[in-house]
Amino acid sequence: MLAGFCFVFGLSAQDDSVKTVTLSNVTIVGAEKNMSAQLQQFFRANAAATVEEIMSRLPELSLVRRGSYGMEPTIRSLNGGQINLLIDGMRIHGACTDKMDPATIYVEPVNLENIQLTTGGQGTAKGSSIGGTIDMALAAPKYSSEGPWHGSVQTAYQGASNGWHQAATVNYSSKQFAIRGSGTYRTADNYRDGNGNEVMFSQYNKWNASLSANYRLNEHTRLKADVLADDGWNIGYPALPMDVGYAKARIAAISISKSRAGSRWQQMEAKAYANRVEHSMDDTQRPNVPMHMDMPGLSETAGFYANGSYKLNDRQSLTMRIDGASTFLKASMTMYPPGETPMYMLTWPDNRRNQLGTSAVWKWAPDSLLQLNVTARIDGVQSKLSSQEAKDHISVLGGCTDARFDLLSNLSLSGSKRLANGWQVGVSVGVAQRMPTASELYGFYLFNAFDNYDYVGNTALKSETAINAEAFVSWKLKQVKLQFTGFYNHISHYILGRVDPSLSSMTIGSLGVKVYENMPWAQMAGAEFSVQYKPFERILLLSTLRASVAEGSDGLPLPFIPPLKNITSVRYAYGRISAQLEYEASLKQTRINEQAGETTTPGFVLAHARVGYVLPLWKNQISCQAGVENMFNEAYQEHLDWGNVLRPGRNMYATLRCTF
Amino acid sequence: MRGLIGILHCKVPGARAFIAHRHWLADIHFAITAFSFSCSSVFIRHTSVLMCMLQCRSINLLHILFMKRLIVPFLTLSALSIILISCSKSEVETDPAAGLTKIAEGFAAGAATKVEVYSNAAAASGYQKFWFALYDSLSGKRVDEAQIKLMPMMDMGTMKHSAPYENPASFQAVNQLFEGAVFFIMSSAGGSWTLSINIRNNVTGKEGALTIPVTVAEPKAKRMLSFTSAIDNTSKYFIALVEPSRPKVGINDLEFVIGKRSTMMSFPADSSMSVTFEPEMPTMNHGSPNNVNPVHAGMGHYKGKVNFTMTGLWRLHLQLKSGDAIARKDSIDIEF
Repeated sequence: MLAGFCFVFGLSAQDDSVKTVTLSNVTIVGAEKNMSAQLQQFFRANAAATVEEIMSRLPELSLVRRGSYGMEPTIRSLNGGQINLLIDGMRIHGACTDKMDPATIYVEPVNLENIQLTTGGQGTAKGSSIGGTIDMALAAPKYSSEGPWHGSVQTAYQGASNGWHQAATVNYSSKQFAIRGSGTYRTADNYRDGNGNEVMFSQYNKWNASLSANYRLNEHTRLKADVLADDGWNIGYPALPMDVGYAKARIAAISISKSRAGSRWQQMEAKAYANRVEHSMDDTQRPNVPMHMDMPGLSETAGFYANGSYKLNDRQSLTMRIDGASTFLKASMTMYPPGETPMYMLTWPDNRRNQLGTSAVWKWAPDSLLQLNVTARIDGVQSKLSSQEAKDHISVLGGCTDARFDLLSNLSLSGSKRLANGWQVGVSVGVAQRMPTASELYGFYLFNAFDNYDYVGNTALKSETAINAEAFVSWKLKQVKLQFTGFYNHISHYILGRVDPSLSSMTIGSLGVKVYENMPWAQMAGAEFSVQYKPFERILLLSTLRASVAEGSDGLPLPFIPPLKNITSVRYAYGRISAQLEYEASLKQTRINEQAGETTTPGFVLAHARVGYVLPLWKNQISCQAGVENMFNEAYQEHLDWGNVLRPGRNMYATLRCTF
Repeated sequence: MRGLIGILHCKVPGARAFIAHRHWLADIHFAITAFSFSCSSVFIRHTSVLMCMLQCRSINLLHILFMKRLIVPFLTLSALSIILISCSKSEVETDPAAGLTKIAEGFAAGAATKVEVYSNAAAASGYQKFWFALYDSLSGKRVDEAQIKLMPMMDMGTMKHSAPYENPASFQAVNQLFEGAVFFIMSSAGGSWTLSINIRNNVTGKEGALTIPVTVAEPKAKRMLSFTSAIDNTSKYFIALVEPSRPKVGINDLEFVIGKRSTMMSFPADSSMSVTFEPEMPTMNHGSPNNVNPVHAGMGHYKGKVNFTMTGLWRLHLQLKSGDAIARKDSIDIEF
């Protein structure tokens, strides 16, 4: 596979190096991922896209898919508890024991400002993690000089799933006050796959509403309040034995920020927040259910953070942050055998995690070409079972029912250097740690439909410790920009499930029970390549390529490693018209972990075409978009998709968007 | 001490304070309760101010705490209120029979003693505990020293038989009650049960007896087994579940009692068996981990541990052995 990767990379590099180009601006490794921002902007142009679709275009990210909704993002094959998934700096924990509700579903493109992605050890500034941080910044109200009212209304239709998407935003601003509201409603029936078959239980329904208000206390200081509500219902998960009856999230935050370009404290912000997620799995729509069951889950988080950037001198700055959060989780399962006593148990015995951490990022630019960063973070985390009932559950497994305290330390060093002729190089090394998740510590017979095993937690788990290394080379000229990034992670105490034959499985039809254990180590390596090429004013080509390999200390490949994938897009824009062609190709994945229930996934090639037209209407704008995705009706699935469920076949869509 | 911790929790203006959470509210409630207790005349001026604020500000403790001037009196008061609460705690007389049901009462003629019989559940076939409260029939005072002997009897019309029983172990009442037990080896469906209670009042030295009828129901889930040993095909044994009396998800005490029939009137405790078991949910065909087989702990009682991973119907598959030979394989159900 690596050979294939080198070949493709070599070819692209050769093709591009033929062109004559000159130097332009710089990319800095870490926080300012220009390429990432570029990609986001590019793919957000499709107004009907979901946050998941935008994320899937970033080469560092892959999505674990269990249904057409609620895909779980991974950064370079690290997922779940290994990465931070934040909404506007806030921690939010899904309420589903089966990870059907990653935080990404609570943000819609209409209320998303941008996705800030930091990989590896540099991602620890906002939380201890070994994989990095995805922070979805919420759109803030804008102060407009052109009238108090602005907004947009849009509607979109997806052919493959007979899906409708409606969204609206409205922004009001006065001199001191600004408020922004947005709402989204999505509904979709079962979609048809590339073979023309209806994929049962792939429907979903949701609405999302957010309100954000900004008040200027004075020239430099702003007070901001955010409220966000998201309700999903009747969401099908074809790869799972159950669907989602409802998933409700309520998020609220209040923050104060101060920015003063001239002063030493350039930027300061403090925020307090709370969120609550309720989730309920449902099997009433499914045929042949041996026994009806209810699986409700609840997650409540309250937290705060405060950060500030202090300018030490013209060449050095220090960004400091302190944050804390307390998360309560509870999930249960009740089965109703006909004519018998209901069977009830806690699947997440009531547990609470209290976390307090502080971080510092020191940036030093000794000269205009060299930049050095140090990111350090320390976290204290207390995890405890918060009821006697919960302790009784864990004691059955012989687990420790006392609170545990972990101290997590993270340190990352990075540097980048601009060279002559548009070349730039950078390296980053770091040590990072992450806590075992609630499921990994306290999970009580959680059924995993992927490998067909019940999973139980292990309170004796050690936290994972990773050594991350990353290096990049980029070359930027006037019309072209190339970037090549390579990474390597060595993870000690890698957490994964191991079959325990002494335990008998709970779920009917499950193969056995796995207990989470620390594998001595695991390692993963990979590379991403991206090119941005603008041969003419009207044409922009973007292409990304990524590949990774990973193995555990037992010599077997780790599961959920995506194969080599390339996405190439060409956009032609002329005045009010734009047209775009996309090409998406993935190699087959044969490096699989059969113990984890993986099967080989065939490769695929997809083509998409999109056209857009902007119609000016007095002072307003109506933009129309239409396109066809998976043009050749390929029957395909990605390697990270659960249950060998095929993705949608040919999908014609149309979007109408009016802005005022 | 727990109260003090509760109050201190509220004072940390950290993450917990920003969400209306059960625990947090509970802490505040406790703080308010502590305040009401602390309204002694010495501190009444400060507390009434604070109480007003608590009510006016819809329990917004943060507001109060951030008023620096009030923090010191607040802390002092909190600490003092704790002390006041602990000091003023009085020993309230609790009814020793609280939670139990009186199933019969009468006089033991000759012993000049009134007998009250209590039980924790309606009598059903299996192991049944009884508590006896004794009173001097003249003075009405509690009798705390007595020797009680039980004799259960089943009258089936054509024949009579007894059952295994346990007399109160001590002549001294424990918490004013004498505890004994009867292992009803069948329900009242086949005849009528009586329990004869012989009492020797150790205070007066008088002795007498009382016989009460007992209706023994057939429980929904069987709590006992009777069997003839497969080893000799003659010995008749009875095994009943004693614990868990209140089964829960988690680790439960498991206790059986085994009696052997030597005559129709004598059912001595048996300590010769070895008991192994395997729990199973018959609806789901799964078991539970980390169970401990019961071992003999005296008086025919065998104690171990049984773990339940969920509520519902559990079946304990029992294997009773005498030496290496299997006397019986059977099962007992627990449903909760």
